[in-house]
Amino acid sequence: MTRRSVETVGLTKAFGGVVAVDDATVTFQDGKINALIGPNGSGKTTFFNCVTGMIKPDAGRAMYRGQDITGRSPHRIARAGIGRSFQLCRIFPRMTVLDNMLVAVRTTSLRAQLANSHNRSDLDRARGWLRRVGIDHLEGVEARNLSYGQQKLLELAGVLMGDPETIMLDEPAGGVNPALIERIAALVRQLNKEGRTFLIVEHNMDLVMSLSDHVVVFDRGRPIAAGPPPVIRADPRVLEAYLGV
Amino acid sequence: MLTFQSVILGVLLGGLYALLAAGLTLYFGVMRVVMIAHSAFLILAAYLAWYFHRETGIDPLVSLVGTVPLFFVLGVAMQRLLISRLRAATLTMMSVLLTFAIALLIEGLLGYVFSGTQRRTQLSYSGTSLDFFGARVAVVKLIAFGLAAAALLGLYVLLKASRFGLALRATIQHREAAQLAGIDTNRVAGYGFGLGLATAAIGGTALALDTTIYPSLHWHWIGPLMAIIVVGGLGSVPGAAIAAMLLGLTQSLLQLPLGTTWAQTVFYVALFATLAFRPQGFFGGRLAQRF
Amino acid sequence: MPSVSSLLRLSVVVAGAALALSFPMLAPNPYILSAGVVVASYAVLSTSWNFVGGFTGYISLGHGAYVGLGAYGTGLLIIKAGLPSFAALLLSAALVAALAVPIGIASLRVRGASFVIVSISLVLILLLIFQSWASFTGGSNGLVVPRPFPGLRRPDHHLVFFYLFCALLAVALLSWWVIDRSRFGMGLKAIREDEDKAQSLGTPTFAFKLLAFVASATFTALGGGLYALWFGDLDPVFQFSILTGAYMVLMALLGGVRHLFGPLLGALVVGSALEYFKVEYGSTQLHLVATGLLLAAVVLFMPDGVIPALSDVYNRLFRPRATSIREATAAELRSQEEVRG
Repeated sequence: MTRRSVETVGLTKAFGGVVAVDDATVTFQDGKINALIGPNGSGKTTFFNCVTGMIKPDAGRAMYRGQDITGRSPHRIARAGIGRSFQLCRIFPRMTVLDNMLVAVRTTSLRAQLANSHNRSDLDRARGWLRRVGIDHLEGVEARNLSYGQQKLLELAGVLMGDPETIMLDEPAGGVNPALIERIAALVRQLNKEGRTFLIVEHNMDLVMSLSDHVVVFDRGRPIAAGPPPVIRADPRVLEAYLGV
Repeated sequence: MLTFQSVILGVLLGGLYALLAAGLTLYFGVMRVVMIAHSAFLILAAYLAWYFHRETGIDPLVSLVGTVPLFFVLGVAMQRLLISRLRAATLTMMSVLLTFAIALLIEGLLGYVFSGTQRRTQLSYSGTSLDFFGARVAVVKLIAFGLAAAALLGLYVLLKASRFGLALRATIQHREAAQLAGIDTNRVAGYGFGLGLATAAIGGTALALDTTIYPSLHWHWIGPLMAIIVVGGLGSVPGAAIAAMLLGLTQSLLQLPLGTTWAQTVFYVALFATLAFRPQGFFGGRLAQRF
Repeated sequence: MPSVSSLLRLSVVVAGAALALSFPMLAPNPYILSAGVVVASYAVLSTSWNFVGGFTGYISLGHGAYVGLGAYGTGLLIIKAGLPSFAALLLSAALVAALAVPIGIASLRVRGASFVIVSISLVLILLLIFQSWASFTGGSNGLVVPRPFPGLRRPDHHLVFFYLFCALLAVALLSWWVIDRSRFGMGLKAIREDEDKAQSLGTPTFAFKLLAFVASATFTALGGGLYALWFGDLDPVFQFSILTGAYMVLMALLGGVRHLFGPLLGALVVGSALEYFKVEYGSTQLHLVATGLLLAAVVLFMPDGVIPALSDVYNRLFRPRATSIREATAAELRSQEEVRG
């Protein structure tokens, strides 16, 4: 009954002598909120970057819904339906909030590319998402003038503008106040109900355990456990990895 | 025999290229700056050596005593006062423009002060040459090579054996990590710039010994030097040195069948081939991928 | 409010165009008119440069290469292939566009630094080739390009070419404007801000950069070719000059690369200054010193050009409210204006 979303087989990436992702074979479930956790430096972000094409893995394969996406360039992976956020929130600092949204509009034909970017339907969609994350009153502000939390919301809205079926979030709660964490969590739940798959790297354990359906634990570049939150919480290997006992 | 002669000359030329390319690599390594003015400073040093000799009659090599420290201080000042003012987000592009502007400034001032006339240092030993296994090699070329080799060796020892060298290499490889390890990367970057510019002082003096100089000569140097650091892998000092030797040698060998001008195109052919087939360079240089 | 400001903008554009078109009537002598042609050609070149420099933030110092290729292409097609002048101009630009594709592929695959290095190297290598291959290009003796309108007197020749340059400038500006407001342009500007992020949002960054680059090279070649038809005498040293590229960057940067009319404004200022220097100081190297100083000053003190700097001053003088309100609000006002721009 569970369809496969992102999955990897033997994925490996080393930087110089340091093996960041080591022969990782993982499956994430379609339609669910998946979490990827692990101690600092366990290779989660590198794993994200390999899957989304930001860096090329040394070995192994990455698949999305059964389709091989290994080594494809990031924009093609994005167009295959995977959107992502970055660990240290990346937005376009000197573009307005609205323009930040319009970048994510996807078209293929040259004619559509040359059409006015501020057209009615794109603007309506952009404003819709901004309203949904709660920053529509800031649409004319340059993104660098937003607070960090607002920038995080903008980044999420920008990802949603591309209408991805699967959304990979790298530490959505990092550096954000508790009230905003709640808002982001609620948004993720809603979006998941609407059929979007999530794959979340997060350090905030309470958030991970309350939010996710399926948790994968990384240690030193490879998965050491996978399962629903209660199972993970009880797993001695996970405790060992985190506490180093 | 002519081929052997070319090989010798190629090695001698490659030595100078290697020293200058090492300087260019230092700037790129510590600050991700493509320092267009490097060769303009080279020509400036050559002019200073020539002028020193013309005015005092003392051997132009002695001018090194003044130009090397002067250029080191200039390099540190340039990094601290100019380059570090630029915004990090656009540093690579804006620093290119800034150093380009400095190159124009130097060229213009040289032309204004010394006029566009071609200059050549006349020394008592200018015409002398040695017989080296049947190849005739001008003494001035040997001195120039010796100077470059000694400076390069000094630089190598400094980078490999000293604490400062360690800090410099750490800064080149990973600036943030170096900062976390307690290294004052700004200071290191300043000294890196100083060292880079010092190589231009040494190279310029060597150049003044046996080359006719004129203000716009630096454009003939910056192209090959930039090609060398790309082929060697941006940010890799040994890579730059190897690429410099190989390309200097190739250029020298091609001069026989093709003539001087066409032989120079070897640098650009190598540059385009590198970018088309192996953009990270051929000798290490992991930095290149992102730049 | 927006209607007033856009009306104001439109009237400024119309007034500027009218002034430009009446310049030949106002020019007191043929020399001033020919200086006007030079400035118009600079405006074409710097606006062309801004297709890649302004949108993507990739700074090319070697656009002189495309000026030279466009000029020599035009000249050689007329002389060697016997093509009519303007057919040669168009074909030459098309050839440059085709050549820009492999150059762009080699230099845009990796980020910034390599692009700059290739751009400068290209000028240097082309200078070498065009000087050495004298049997084909005329080498340092130069290449004389036949005039397209042999019957015309010199002042009329200048007049015709002034309007031709203005027409080319209008096409270039219009194209830039179309891209600026398009989705394609939005993608290009995103590349300027954060290339990785743009790609992760689905922007095909490499293809976009390449397209902008080819468009830029093509317009530059058209400018160079038109110059060849006007000036009629080509020398590799001047055609493949690193200085030409430097002027283009300086003009665009000084005016402001984020604005449609920025490079044009910069060309008016720098181009006129250069012509003045030519008259006043002739063969000294002071124009290099001045160019270097001005470029350094722009990079260090107003990297966004004079247009934003001037509008800041305007805001401070005529909208005292903006200064009295919090800093953030001032920034908001400014950004809202940029949306409309």
